[in-house]
Amino acid sequence: MSDSPADRVARFVDDLLHGRRPRRFHASQEEVEAMTAAAGMASARVGADLPGKAALDRIHSRLAAALDESPAFDRHVTRRVLLRTFGTAAAAMVIGVGLDEVVTRQGKAPVESGGGGSTVLMPDGGAWKPVASVTQLPAGHAMTVSTGAIDAVIVNDGGTISAVSGICTHLGCRLQPDDAGKKLDCPCHQTAFGWSGKVLYYRLKAEPPNLPQIPSRVNGDQIELFVV
Amino acid sequence: MLAVTELRIVGNPEPDDLRAIETAVYPDWEAVYADNVVGIYQLVFRRVGNAADAEDLAAEVLMQTLKTLRLPAPVHNVRAYLVKTARTVLADHWRRHYAAKDAAAELQQVPPDALTSPHNSAAAERAQRVLSLLPDNFRRILELRFLRGYSVREAANELGVTESNARVLQFRALRKAADLELEVLR
Repeated sequence: MSDSPADRVARFVDDLLHGRRPRRFHASQEEVEAMTAAAGMASARVGADLPGKAALDRIHSRLAAALDESPAFDRHVTRRVLLRTFGTAAAAMVIGVGLDEVVTRQGKAPVESGGGGSTVLMPDGGAWKPVASVTQLPAGHAMTVSTGAIDAVIVNDGGTISAVSGICTHLGCRLQPDDAGKKLDCPCHQTAFGWSGKVLYYRLKAEPPNLPQIPSRVNGDQIELFVV
Repeated sequence: MLAVTELRIVGNPEPDDLRAIETAVYPDWEAVYADNVVGIYQLVFRRVGNAADAEDLAAEVLMQTLKTLRLPAPVHNVRAYLVKTARTVLADHWRRHYAAKDAAAELQQVPPDALTSPHNSAAAERAQRVLSLLPDNFRRILELRFLRGYSVREAANELGVTESNARVLQFRALRKAADLELEVLR
């Protein structure tokens, strides 16, 4: 096989078009120019440059692993925090303020977490407040409630009562309970959450955070939430 | 959630360890990741053209940024830093694997606001625009190869040239496309 610049670039293009990692070789500046143009052309098909979920998961895992292996990072961020928190946006939406309207306080102990990417909304100055009677929420049903400050969905899953935020963590749309599917649908972007708050599916570029859980209890015949 | 206890409405009389934020901030790495991973992947994909390298380099960009940036930090600062890191990582990639002394010319085309401008179909549009500006024979070979997935042999048959000539035509077309990228499309 001859080895002219045109041949080497053709092999590079072949690798791109077959979805292979291109073979490495010493390229002249002219070849590099042609190859970078080829890389741009490989994006010509709409969506060719979008990562699949598997790729995103692997990138996420590598970041999490890097955090685990680097004690130097612990002061700023730990893997627990990475896995536990999915951004301030969700919390800001829950309490009804935008990111540009908030103030942070550093050095305060984090609240408890449910693990697995879900979080528990534990507001300062919260109190148990009744939001519905038990008879209003038969088994197998979910119901939206509002305390004024917080929109929530209370769920009766086979007799176990729980509550999650009623606001989609993507852009803040109000979720709609779907009892038959045991899920909460976002009317805005075809995203759905399970009754536990876990994301079931989404049609977004990045997976949205799970819904924060809201502490709940049954007190007498009342369902109460720990809210502001 | 960590962020919940950190949030206070501006003006709320709270202890003096509160500080006002005038612009949006990333509170933690998960927020940086969720907001930018797709944009970073697309940015590097357009400059390496394959998923395997794009995945590795996107992870490297995020990792290097993670090592040096302190959070919370303003969104625009983080994104500018990610783009700057992406340039360095890409230049290093071309240098290590293809001995490119100066891949920087193309990489300088990465605008500092690459992550803030809409990027969903920008790469496809840009490639289409380059194609439309090429002379006919150059455009034909690149369309056959990149849009229709023809092999060199199939493209040569279609164009009525030898395979060797098709490779040379492709090489020249790509070099012309590179010139257009730099000169016409900024």
